[in-house]
Amino acid sequence: MKGYRIIVDLALMAGLVIWPQAAIASPAPGSVTPIQHLVVLMQSGHSFDNYFGTYPGADGITQGVCLRPELSKTSTNGCVQPFHLGNEPVQDLEHSLSVWSRQYDNGLMDGTVAAYRALGLGTNTPMGYYDSHDLPYYWGVAQNYVLFDHFFSSAPVGTRLNRFWWVAGRSTPGNLESLPKGGYGNIPTIFDRLEAAGVSWKFYVQGYHPNVTFRSNTRGKNSEQTAWVPLVDFPRFVDQRELNSHIVDMSQYYTDLNSGTLPAVAFMTSAQSNESPPGNIQAGQQLVRQLTTSLVMSRYWRSSAFMWTYDDWGGWYDQMKPPQGYGFRVPALLMSPYAKKGQVNHTVLDYTSILRFTEYNWRLAPLASRDYRSNNLLSAFDFTAGPRPAQLIGQAAVLPEANVAPAVSILYLLAMVVGIALALWAWLTTRSPDEVIKK
Amino acid sequence: MLNASNAGTTVVPARRPFVMVLTDRRLLTRAAWLMAIMGAGGFLRLWDLGRIGFNSDEAVYTGQAAALAGNPHLQPLFPVFRAHPLLFQVLLSLVLRTGTSDIKARMVAAAFGIATILVVYLLGKLLYGAPVGMVSAAIMAVTPYGVVVSRQVLLDGPMAFFATVTLYCLARYCLVRDPRWLYAAGAMMGLTILAKETAALLLVAIFEFFALVRTRRPRWREWSAALLIMIAVVAVYVAALVVAHRTHTGEQYFLWQSARPANHSYGFYIRVVPPAVGWGVIALAFGGAAWTWRSNGWREGLLLTWVLVPAAVFSLVVAIKGFQYLEFIAPALSVLAARTVVLAPVRHKPRQARLVQIGRAAVGALLLVSLAITSWQQLNPAPTTSFLAGSGGLPGGRETGYWVDGHVPQGGQLLTIGPSMANVIQFYGHRRTLALSVSPNPLDRNPSYEPVDNPDQQLRQGNFQYLVWDTFSAHRSPTFSSKLLSYVSKYHGVAVYTQLIPVRQRDGHTFKTPVIVIYEVIST
Repeated sequence: MKGYRIIVDLALMAGLVIWPQAAIASPAPGSVTPIQHLVVLMQSGHSFDNYFGTYPGADGITQGVCLRPELSKTSTNGCVQPFHLGNEPVQDLEHSLSVWSRQYDNGLMDGTVAAYRALGLGTNTPMGYYDSHDLPYYWGVAQNYVLFDHFFSSAPVGTRLNRFWWVAGRSTPGNLESLPKGGYGNIPTIFDRLEAAGVSWKFYVQGYHPNVTFRSNTRGKNSEQTAWVPLVDFPRFVDQRELNSHIVDMSQYYTDLNSGTLPAVAFMTSAQSNESPPGNIQAGQQLVRQLTTSLVMSRYWRSSAFMWTYDDWGGWYDQMKPPQGYGFRVPALLMSPYAKKGQVNHTVLDYTSILRFTEYNWRLAPLASRDYRSNNLLSAFDFTAGPRPAQLIGQAAVLPEANVAPAVSILYLLAMVVGIALALWAWLTTRSPDEVIKK
Repeated sequence: MLNASNAGTTVVPARRPFVMVLTDRRLLTRAAWLMAIMGAGGFLRLWDLGRIGFNSDEAVYTGQAAALAGNPHLQPLFPVFRAHPLLFQVLLSLVLRTGTSDIKARMVAAAFGIATILVVYLLGKLLYGAPVGMVSAAIMAVTPYGVVVSRQVLLDGPMAFFATVTLYCLARYCLVRDPRWLYAAGAMMGLTILAKETAALLLVAIFEFFALVRTRRPRWREWSAALLIMIAVVAVYVAALVVAHRTHTGEQYFLWQSARPANHSYGFYIRVVPPAVGWGVIALAFGGAAWTWRSNGWREGLLLTWVLVPAAVFSLVVAIKGFQYLEFIAPALSVLAARTVVLAPVRHKPRQARLVQIGRAAVGALLLVSLAITSWQQLNPAPTTSFLAGSGGLPGGRETGYWVDGHVPQGGQLLTIGPSMANVIQFYGHRRTLALSVSPNPLDRNPSYEPVDNPDQQLRQGNFQYLVWDTFSAHRSPTFSSKLLSYVSKYHGVAVYTQLIPVRQRDGHTFKTPVIVIYEVIST
C-alpha cells in the first residue's frame, strides 16, 4: 500500500513538472463545465452539527443522544444532551489534538463532554447548537442551494494544517501546525497550477496586511494572517511580484465584480468575521451574505459557483465518525445557478474536493494523492438545465399567510347573494311603478 | 310645475308580458337609446385602458384580489386584510383566477361604472319618468368624475354602484311604500359598506331624509328589520376577520383611521369635485332645485340629502379626503341635473312649446358635449411630474415594475421614498419593496405597511440592494427624498434604470424628464 502511494506521489510530482508546460502551450483553457468562476471562502471553527444538526433531511444530531461526563463510567447520570444555544455568548473552546482525540473516543464520537471535564472545564457549551433562528441566511441558502452534510475537515486539528490542505492538497511538511522558518518551500499549490495554465486567480483576504508573511514575526500583531492565508508562507508568493500581486484585500472582490475583472478561481479568507468562537457568528453570516449577494447581482452570477466552509470543528460536538485521517465534519454550502435546489448532498468530501473540482473544471493536474482520489463536487450541480435565475436569500424567512382565501371569499359571496336575492324578491313581488293610476 | 313629481299617485302591479315589450316600438327605441348611452359610457371607460399602469391603490386592491385568487407571486407581498372590507376584491379575484393583469382588473372596475349608468337610468325613470332617466344616464355616462374613477381599480366605483342601487331601493320604497324595498335597501346598504366602509356615513343621509320627510318615514318595525338586514350583511366583514384570526388587524385599522391627521383642508371637495362632476351639472342640479324650491317634494329631498349630507360629513368630519371618495353623489347629481333639463318649468305660450323643447334639447346637448370633451381630455392628460391620488394611473410605474421583475434577482429588496411607489413596484415587479417614509411609530403609520427600522444599518447589512427615487413621492416628501439620495451617495449608488416621461413645458415644448430612478447600492 505504501509502495503504491509512493508511486502515485512520484507520478504526481512528475505531473507538476510536465503539466504546467503543457498548459502554457495552450493558453487560458476554458472551463469544462459552465462554471467559469469559482469563489471559495474559508471560515473558521464550527462543526456541522453545531450549525446544521437540526436541519431537516441532513444527517444531523441523533435523536435522544446524551453524552456522559466521564467516559470511564457507564452511568449516564449527569449526561448532557445537545441544546439550542441561541444568543448565549460562547467562549473560545479548546480544540487541541487531545480534545479531538477524547471527543473522537476511538470512533464512538461520545467524548465531547468528557473531553472538557478532563481539562477541568465544566462547560457544556460544546454540546450547544444553532438553528434557523440564529442562522437564517445560511439555512435559507441551504433551502435554495446545496448543503453538504458529509464534508470533513482534511486534518483532525489545526487552522494552518487544514488551510494547507485547502491550497496544496496535502499536509504540511512533517504534518506540523507550526510554520517552518523558511516557509513551505516549493510545495506546489493549486495557484501554481492555475498560473501555469494561464487561468486567472486571486486570493482575497479580509483586512489584508501585505507585510505580514512567514518572514515577519509569526507571534506578533496580525500574525494569524500567516495561518489564515497559506500563500504568505511560500517564498515565491511573497517574493515574486507577479505572484504576490494576486493576494489582495477583500475589498478588491467587490471592485472586481463591478469592473468585470473577477478571476476564474478566487479563494478568500475572512479575519474579524471568521465566526471562530468567541467571535460573533452574525458578523460572519453578514459577511457571507454581502459576498454572495454581490456575486448574485453581478454579471458573473450565471457562470459562477460560491462555496464556503470552515477550517476546523472549533471544539463543538459532531456525531459522525470521520474517515481515517480526516477531521470532524464542518459546514459547507454551495451557491450557484447550477446548484441543485435544496439538495442535502451526502457525498464524502473534504477541502481537497474543492481542488479536485478546480482541477477537473480547468483541466489541471492533481497536486497530490488526496485530491487525486477525493470525490468531486459535481454531484451538487445540475448542468443539464440552464442556469437558474438569480435569487437572493432574505435575512429572515418570509412565512406565508395561512390560506384564508376560500373562507373569506365564500363569506363575501354569500353576503352578495343575500343582497341580490332580497332585491330580486322585492322587484318580482311588489307593485310595478310603471303603470301609475291617479287616485 | 314638475310633472311626475307632483302627481298624487299610487302604483298598481301591471307587468307587461315580455313579448309585448319586444313589440312596443317606443320601448325598443328607448332601449336603443339606453344601449347607445351605455355604449358611449363604456367607450369612455374602456378606451385605451392600459395606457398608464396602476397607481398605488389600484396595485393594492388588485394585489389583494390576486392573493385571494391564489397568485403565488403576489400572495406574500399583499396581505389579504388591509384597510378596507373585501367585497370588490373577492369579486375581482373570481376574474383573476385565470391570470393577473392590470387591464383585466380595470375592466371589472369599468363594468361597475357601466352598470351604474343603467341604475341611474332606472332611478331617473322611477322618480321623474323615462326622459329624465335617459338624460340622467347620459350625464352619468360622460361625467368626468364617473369616467375617471371607474377607469381605475378603486373601491369607490363599486361603492357608487351599490350606493346607487340602495338609493333606487329607497326611492322605490318611498314610491310604493312596500317594506320589501326597504329590506332590499338595507341589504344593498350593507353591500355598499362591504365595498368600502366609509359608505356607512350615507346612513346619516338616510336618517336625515326620513327625519325631514315624515310622509315617507317607515314604521319602526320595518325600519328595525331593514337595519338588522344591513347589520347582518356587514357582519360578514367581522366574520371574515374572525375566521382568519385577524380581528386584531381590524382593531388596528379602526384605531389608526380614527387618529389620522387630516391630509387636506375642509375645502378640498369643493375644489376638486365640481370640476370633476362638471360645473354645468352642478349648476343645473342645484339651480333647478332652487328654482322649484316651493314645489320640491320627497324626491328632491331624497336626492339632495344624498348629495349634501355626505359632502358635508366627508368635508367636516372625515379627516382623510380623497379625490374619488364622493363618487357616489354623482348619480344623484345627474338625476337632479337631468330633471332640470327635461322638466324645469318654463313659462311660455302654447305656440312656443316647440321652441322650449328645442331649448331643453340644446341645453342638454351642450351639457353632454362639454362633459364628454372634458372626460376625453382627462383620458389624455398632459404628462406631469406631480400626482393626485385617485386621479389616474402612475406614469412610468408599471414600466419600472417590469424592469424590476426582469432584472432584480429573486429575493432582492428595494427601498422607495414612500409606500405608494413601493406598492406599484411590488405589484409589477414581484419584489419586496419597503418605504423610507413609513413611520416606525405604530400610531403614525398604516398598519399594512412595514417600517424600516434604522434604514442606514439595514443598507449597511445589505438588506436592500436597490434604492428607488421618484419625482411624485419627492414632491410629497422632500425630506425623505433627500434622505434617500443621501443613502444613494453613502452606499455608492449606481443608477441602473431611469424612467423618462415626456412633460410639456409652459412654452409648449415637450421634453423627456426622469420621473423614477433605480440605484443599485453596495453595502460594503
